[in-house]
Amino acid sequence: MRENSDVWIVIPVYGEEKVIAGVVERVLHVFPNVVCVDDGSPDNSAAEISGTGAHLVRHPINMGQGAALQTGFEYALSRAGGQYFVTFDADGQHRVEDVQKMLEMARSGAADVVLGSRFLDGAGTTSVPRLKRLLLPIIAKLSPTARRLKLTDAHNGLRLLTRPAAEGLRITQNRMAHASEIVGWLARSKWTVRETPVTVLYTDYKGKGQSLINGINILFDVTLSRRK
Amino acid sequence: MIQVGSIIQYALMAGVLLIAIVFVRSQHGVRVQASKRLGFFLFLLLNIYAVARPDDVTWVAHRLGVGRGTDLLLYALIVTFVLAMLATYLRINEDEQRVTQLARAVAIRDAEVLNRERGLLPPLSTPYIAGATAAAAAAEEQ
Repeated sequence: MRENSDVWIVIPVYGEEKVIAGVVERVLHVFPNVVCVDDGSPDNSAAEISGTGAHLVRHPINMGQGAALQTGFEYALSRAGGQYFVTFDADGQHRVEDVQKMLEMARSGAADVVLGSRFLDGAGTTSVPRLKRLLLPIIAKLSPTARRLKLTDAHNGLRLLTRPAAEGLRITQNRMAHASEIVGWLARSKWTVRETPVTVLYTDYKGKGQSLINGINILFDVTLSRRK
Repeated sequence: MIQVGSIIQYALMAGVLLIAIVFVRSQHGVRVQASKRLGFFLFLLLNIYAVARPDDVTWVAHRLGVGRGTDLLLYALIVTFVLAMLATYLRINEDEQRVTQLARAVAIRDAEVLNRERGLLPPLSTPYIAGATAAAAAAEEQ
């Protein structure tokens, strides 16, 4: 059995033709199972992914990052042998080493779900923009669900779920509110959730990611979603 | 301007809150749908009445603590508009969920064919078909 063949890396992709192939190759070096969900990118992202050894799933229309994650999970869960499922960003912000650390924790049985945190001791926080470094820990402290799980960082794109946890996940927030939705779901679930320090590389290549002002939209979506 | 603490303020605020909660929380049954439509029809009739006999509306408005009948109508219109927007928002969300599930099913089905051609998935004759049926079952479950 190849090393880490029980791990699936799920990468939602939208408009990342410049970097996606490089990101995927770096991940494939350590983890043989990668599924990229191209969320209807207008550029050549899908062709770039085709050139790598990653599984490619293409949304026929653009539906949002939350929808892409759920699709990736369902595709990966349908493959036999997967035990660990990781969400990973397409833009090169995340480091493969951090996934290995998270996997170690999950394999030891210490947690069912491991979340990356930019604000735990040991995380390289120097590259986090100042405003985010200031506000995100406050948001994590204010959020009732994040507080219940004792999270220091409620909005990190790097997450690891064991199979039983991943099977229970149903992301219904198609766009950015999915991060809050996942944390809320975890707080209500029986799974043991742990954080590990991770370094997020904020590159100059694109001023992307979660803008803080988008938090207002997220709050609106989460508040108005029907309780299931 | 209406005075602080007049009846209409409490009535409007309570009405908005109550109906908003009903809208967001409850599953939309046939009864809710019917009463919504009935309510809308009544609202239309009231409007016709208000145009025909504005003095009557002003009388009601005075009882409720509002200056003029047209002001009362305006308040009622705002409440109705906000609720209609909310209902539309929720409806769009529901539609989006359905489209998402459809698109996801299509995407995964196509991907299994594509990735098999790319040699990333074993050929169909192996027991891996069980995986495909599991995916279909999971999709159905939703």
